[in-house]
Amino acid sequence: MDVELTEILEALCQHAPFNEIADDPQLKDMTKEIEIQYVRAGEMVIAQSALNNTLFFIRSGAIEILSKDKKLIRRMNEGELFGYASILRGGKSSQAMRTIEDSLLYRIPARWFLKLHQENDNFSDFFQLAREARLRAAMDAQNSDVSLMTCPVVSLLRRPPISTNIDSNIRVAAQIMAEHRVSSLLITDGDELIGILTDRDLRTRAVAQGLAYDTPVSEIMTRDPIVMDSGDYASEAVLKMMERNVHHIPIVKNGRPIGVVSTGDIIQKESHGSVYLISDIYKQTSIEGLKSISQKMTHTFTQLVVADANTQMIGNAMSHIGTAFVKRLLQLAEEIYGPPPVPYCFIALGSQAREEQTIKTDQDNALILSDKYDKKLHGEYFEALSDWVCRNLDECGYTLCSGDIMASNPRWRQPLKAWKENFSEWIQKPKAEALLRLSIFFDLRGIYGDKTLAKQLNQHIRQQAQQHSGFLTFMARNANQRKPPLGFFRQFVLDGEGKQSRTFNLKERGIAPIIDIVRVHALACGSDKLNTLERIEDIEAAGLLPGGRAKDLALALEMIGMVRIRNQKEQIEAGEEPNNHVNPEHLSSFEKRHLRDAFHIVSRQQEFIKFRYAGKRS
Amino acid sequence: MSKHLLKKKSTEEIQDWQAMFAQWAEEAPEGPLKRYYQAGMIAPNTALKDTPLLALDLETTGLDPQHDEIISLGLIPLSSKIIRCQGAKYWMAKPEHSLNAESVTIHEITHAELAGAPSLNAILDEILIALTSQVVVVHCVAIERQFLLEASMKAYGYPLYFPVLDTMDIERQATFKPWWQRFGRRPSLRLDACRQRYKLPRYKAHHALTDALSSAELLQAQISYHMDPEADISNYWM
Repeated sequence: MDVELTEILEALCQHAPFNEIADDPQLKDMTKEIEIQYVRAGEMVIAQSALNNTLFFIRSGAIEILSKDKKLIRRMNEGELFGYASILRGGKSSQAMRTIEDSLLYRIPARWFLKLHQENDNFSDFFQLAREARLRAAMDAQNSDVSLMTCPVVSLLRRPPISTNIDSNIRVAAQIMAEHRVSSLLITDGDELIGILTDRDLRTRAVAQGLAYDTPVSEIMTRDPIVMDSGDYASEAVLKMMERNVHHIPIVKNGRPIGVVSTGDIIQKESHGSVYLISDIYKQTSIEGLKSISQKMTHTFTQLVVADANTQMIGNAMSHIGTAFVKRLLQLAEEIYGPPPVPYCFIALGSQAREEQTIKTDQDNALILSDKYDKKLHGEYFEALSDWVCRNLDECGYTLCSGDIMASNPRWRQPLKAWKENFSEWIQKPKAEALLRLSIFFDLRGIYGDKTLAKQLNQHIRQQAQQHSGFLTFMARNANQRKPPLGFFRQFVLDGEGKQSRTFNLKERGIAPIIDIVRVHALACGSDKLNTLERIEDIEAAGLLPGGRAKDLALALEMIGMVRIRNQKEQIEAGEEPNNHVNPEHLSSFEKRHLRDAFHIVSRQQEFIKFRYAGKRS
Repeated sequence: MSKHLLKKKSTEEIQDWQAMFAQWAEEAPEGPLKRYYQAGMIAPNTALKDTPLLALDLETTGLDPQHDEIISLGLIPLSSKIIRCQGAKYWMAKPEHSLNAESVTIHEITHAELAGAPSLNAILDEILIALTSQVVVVHCVAIERQFLLEASMKAYGYPLYFPVLDTMDIERQATFKPWWQRFGRRPSLRLDACRQRYKLPRYKAHHALTDALSSAELLQAQISYHMDPEADISNYWM
């Protein structure tokens, strides 16, 4: 007995992509597993953030897609499909789907969709093209889909790596690439990744040069390509591609290549503005252009918050954007003032160095000059350059630092030698008062120019800090200066003045203390990381904290950070300047409960470092 | 279309198919039909949403259950919310008398196709197994029930009964208006016309499985407009 649901199969095959694969015998089997659902107008088919494992086919009726903020993204009619984006993402639907007419829907199980998507190129092409075409529309509708920001790079991989051995010739390589329809080929020696060969290499380094077909691949491949780890964020892959102008990045896991991510893969995945924002920054040739981009920042920020990106991702994105502004301004400055007479490195300090920037931060930066620097000869150049960059950063929304910790301050524009002396002095003869102001210098990242200068200075700092335990005692004491508002339920311990009198400062009372605690431990264990979460990993690995405590710190940071970020988003939406002040009355009971737990963690850990780095006097 | 809930049945109107099945299980001769009744039926106070439903359609050589014969039968399982293609079944049966040209054109089933099919008697056991403990969904109960009853009498010498949700009867109740509110003709109760009322797509009629699917979809629409999924099935079955 062969049961054929002809009516259903025929209905499917009248529409793309099924019409293109009508001869695929699997379709018949798939039809047998379809479920049919009648939904009246105005009902939710897929709710916002619901887990979805069904591909829906609209047999009759109409559906509308709504964004997170309930805005209409588009309407779909008979013959259209929905639900595939969430299946491909392997999880929650970022949009809501609602019937606008009485509709008859075919429910196709996700595994059939995934199977066809994997096995049938005609089928999968349809969804890729559809997605690209909708990208613009979605962005225009201010739809936020931060899949790229929130997914690990490994999720972009579509197949195992295609590779060939180092002793192949370019003809063999090209044949393999043609056979597998890939635009890049990994070159290996046994298990080891030696290089990468791309379409572009074949074109420019082989064909255009008229090389013989039997030329070994080793002659035209890119040796030691930039690779990323499978756990890295996809957004980092994008940034790396733009930074290095490459289109393919091999992904490795435990040192072995497991696939290649290409710009094409990214475009398919990408539907969010922050990465475009960065590439736009690099395209600007005037301050006006940069200023107009900086005005879009708040939008990018709120998009990220709305899309449930965590604080780490938001910090990462905002810092990369901030760094892009600095880099572009320095490039423009070098066009105006000419190339630097001696090497220098522009360094970011504080949150930007830790890649934890949020919206609206002061600029904290400095300049390390090469030791060849001669004030008489080069002083004027660097003064002009720094003034110009800091002034224009201010124009772009990164306001001048109230403490004057900026490259434009001659005190923070010194040769490496002088910087090292400064740090030796601070570390060897610590003064509590001074160190309070200086803690920001212990988060230091080279972002433009000769980054080896920053690297050497960081090395020096690590060495010095580990050799002088007295310094850690001071740092630990300073990390105890700002206490979390433990009693904020019973009596409000409020920090603000005037308009802010009913609020407390989340950054001062929660986030900064955690960062301070973590910095002390990081210096103690010689970690070369700057990001607080990465430092926490190093601290945990070094066994400086009792089991689980390091993770507690990370959780507390995320919790407080999230409340701050949501609060800032609400401030922006209310047309206010975002800041770090939170009115406890505006917190949900959920937020209050978690904040209280987080503050308790901070308090306990403050106590802990006081004893851990007690020094001789206590 | 406004949401117009069907009236609930009064206590006297309610049929207890569970009790009747128990009785027939006693009486029926040994064999597949007895086993069918012995498997039982759901209780009358089972909620509509928990009722296992099975849409059924027959194609026959004509409209007279005494003389005409079943030539194909389609089944598709559903609940009050979802139709499951997975359990769809379809049989063709070779009639004892030959097909006339007229019914061939209606069904698009040819002599050649039927020539290779088993006789209805040979597949009736299988059909009974599929029907076991299910409430059957049909459009126009009279036809399906009569033809299957005849077939059962012929095969087992005892009648086959089963509880039914009749989408035609549901539609009649849903569209019912007292004469003083009526304007013009009574709405058509043909399957296709009913489906259009709920904006369901138009299908090629007269394939048993398609028609079973057709009435299954119609029932889904009727449930969402006129029936209470929480109500006892006894309010609706007949």
